[in-house]
Amino acid sequence: MAAPTPAPTPVDAKRESFEREALVHLDALYRVARRLTGNSADADDLVQETILKAYRAWDQYEQGTNAKGWLLTILRNAFINEYRRRVRHPETVDIDAIEPFAVFDQVQDDDPQGKFFDRIVDDEVLRAVDQLPESFRETVVLSDVEGMSYQDIAKILGVPVGTVKSRLFRGRQLLQKQLYDYAVTNGYIRRKDG
Amino acid sequence: MKCRDCLEHLYEFLDRELTPTLEQEVREHLEGCEPCADLADFETFYLKFVQARCRAQGAPPALRRRILHELFDE
Repeated sequence: MAAPTPAPTPVDAKRESFEREALVHLDALYRVARRLTGNSADADDLVQETILKAYRAWDQYEQGTNAKGWLLTILRNAFINEYRRRVRHPETVDIDAIEPFAVFDQVQDDDPQGKFFDRIVDDEVLRAVDQLPESFRETVVLSDVEGMSYQDIAKILGVPVGTVKSRLFRGRQLLQKQLYDYAVTNGYIRRKDG
Repeated sequence: MKCRDCLEHLYEFLDRELTPTLEQEVREHLEGCEPCADLADFETFYLKFVQARCRAQGAPPALRRRILHELFDE
């Protein structure tokens, strides 16, 4: 006769739900931390701290709601409060010094589908993202890399949805331009005359 | 809907952030306007490209082990 399965203890249940709902987002947390801090050592520490904080506060999280948003809020607050002042993030571009333009207008005759992007490797794209000023970088990463909704991003960053929209518009334009300039420099596409 | 309005809402359209009514208006405009449709295709391709490049990287295995050890003493 098989022994009855022991009933799960509260600790087992907490661990099980934390693994299922929180730890599945470890990759996303790391990616965001890496872009916020600009280096892997601080990203490691920031993610570890976020996870430990989240585990301690797990009772406050309403299960089945938006764990990714909840975790990213903890991560971003920890970054602002404890890391931002001391981490040495790589230098970012001066947004006021960059003339905004739509890349599509430049490439629509030669490469209207933007196939030149495909020749740009991971490291170069990440480097370009790291050069965005922080407020644009975090918005672009949360939206375009992690696929968060405008509403979720607004909550994580503590700004109105309209601010998310405008930062996203400008941030995408900036990143596109950086990548286009890189592609031109490397001969992946010809700069439009004039 | 005019091209100008379509351009103004294009990112929200691609991000699926528009109200159903507005989304339908943008969709109808794109069906009948080649220049706007070309731009929408370009932006769609660009957004997919950025996501693919930036998601290749995940949490390092050593960090995952460190966290599991801290949490559950394993």
